[in-house]
Amino acid sequence: MNDLYEECAKAIIDLDGDRAEELARRSIDEERPVLETIEKGFVRGIREVGRLWEEGEIFLPELVVGAEAMKRAMAVLEPRIAAGKKELADTHRVVIGTIQGDIHDIGKTLVATMLSANGFEVHDLGADVPIGRFVEEAIASNADFIAISALLTTTMPGQKRVVEEIEKRAMRDKVRVVVGGAPCSSEWAAEIGADGYAGDAVSAVNLVKQLATAS
Amino acid sequence: MSLDFTEAIERKVMLFDGGMGTMLIAKGLTDREVPEGWNIERPEEVKAVHSAYIEAGAEVIQTNTFGANRIKLAASEEGRSLDPSEVNERAAAIARETIDESSRSGIFLAGDVGPTGLFFPPVGNLTPGEARNAFKEQASALERGGVDLFLVETMYDVREALEALRGIREASGKPVVVELTFERKPRGFFTLFGDTPSEGASKLASEGADMVGSNCTIASADMIELARIMRTEIDAPLIFQPNAGKPEMEHGKAVYRQRPEEFAADMMEIVRIGANAVGGCCGTSPEFIRMLHEHLVHGH
Repeated sequence: MNDLYEECAKAIIDLDGDRAEELARRSIDEERPVLETIEKGFVRGIREVGRLWEEGEIFLPELVVGAEAMKRAMAVLEPRIAAGKKELADTHRVVIGTIQGDIHDIGKTLVATMLSANGFEVHDLGADVPIGRFVEEAIASNADFIAISALLTTTMPGQKRVVEEIEKRAMRDKVRVVVGGAPCSSEWAAEIGADGYAGDAVSAVNLVKQLATAS
Repeated sequence: MSLDFTEAIERKVMLFDGGMGTMLIAKGLTDREVPEGWNIERPEEVKAVHSAYIEAGAEVIQTNTFGANRIKLAASEEGRSLDPSEVNERAAAIARETIDESSRSGIFLAGDVGPTGLFFPPVGNLTPGEARNAFKEQASALERGGVDLFLVETMYDVREALEALRGIREASGKPVVVELTFERKPRGFFTLFGDTPSEGASKLASEGADMVGSNCTIASADMIELARIMRTEIDAPLIFQPNAGKPEMEHGKAVYRQRPEEFAADMMEIVRIGANAVGGCCGTSPEFIRMLHEHLVHGH
């Protein structure tokens, strides 16, 4: 019965996008609960891919292909999340991007995928996102979270400038800011006045969930 | 003064300079600017860094052109306003002026070449031809500005390093040094794209790089281990330029805490392992190079 979830996880670990998409369709045909398919299947796979990356068993190209496979499965499943369980998305929207001057996309995309899989409405602005763009998108989409990735010590000051911009526009009460990326830390988040830091995609989802329920 | 870099490295261990970007940040470069813009806007500050490294004892100085290829410049607003050829030629010219104005002789000028910032598939859509052309254009301008050799550095994908080497070869007959950058993973040293030190360096050496090695990302202690691996498996001349420790963030700025003494002691170990050239990367300053110079002169 749960072999399907095993297969979903395996498709991601095998970096097989075709298979991931096919399994996502099958789970719909079999009327499996969508969130369960994502969490017990695909997310477990991408988590394992992330672990292999951390360990140095796989490298950036494999990580990217794994994330692509994940995206393809999610593209099939996402419309079903919207149709079904959507209470989080009704109240919580996340604007996410990698800061200006920084083209590192993968970590951010993983966090975006995971947030989306967990029912948040995610507005992914991609990489090299100007300070103002985060804020404008947050206003346009009425978001209550901005998640900013920075992978370079030279670009992380941009995270601080987003916080400053939000303060300047008197939106601080409304929008929570979370940061991530290799050079960031909880100390850094505190220093720049952000609401939290997460070191990987799974803890990023937990952090946003925690902040969302605390509100 | 007909100096030949390839002869020089057969005779002695050459001392390269240290960090440029971190020095310019200390002089007020902001995250809204690209360091290469200062070759045109504030050449006196760039010359001051070159001059400080020459005074500290560096025998090879590197142009302020790490991100000056067309593709990388196009990635930022300020970069787009700069003409790639002009930036590279000016950068080489001001470094050359600094060397000519110095009282020391026998200083080599290396045209610094960093990555495009875009990725080859499957990570990105960069094609070998696009990369090679951008590097060729940069190398032609550096050559016009008067460099003695080229230093391709901080490469995280051997395929891109090879295109840099090929692009430079199309533009110039001067020696080419190529450095890859490695992360330390539980299983060993790997580039972002999974190349190992010995595979990576072998490919570059067999493609005709005059010297190969590693820079950036890791600190001097880890670089000792990397140097051992490369020296065991690579016959070509080797170069190592580590960072001054791991950066820590303080008040929004990256701070490198390693002391010049510790750096120099580690680098001397790398020399004993058999490096043919040493220098520094991010966070290293003229103080680091001065300390290393003293150790090299006294041989301990």
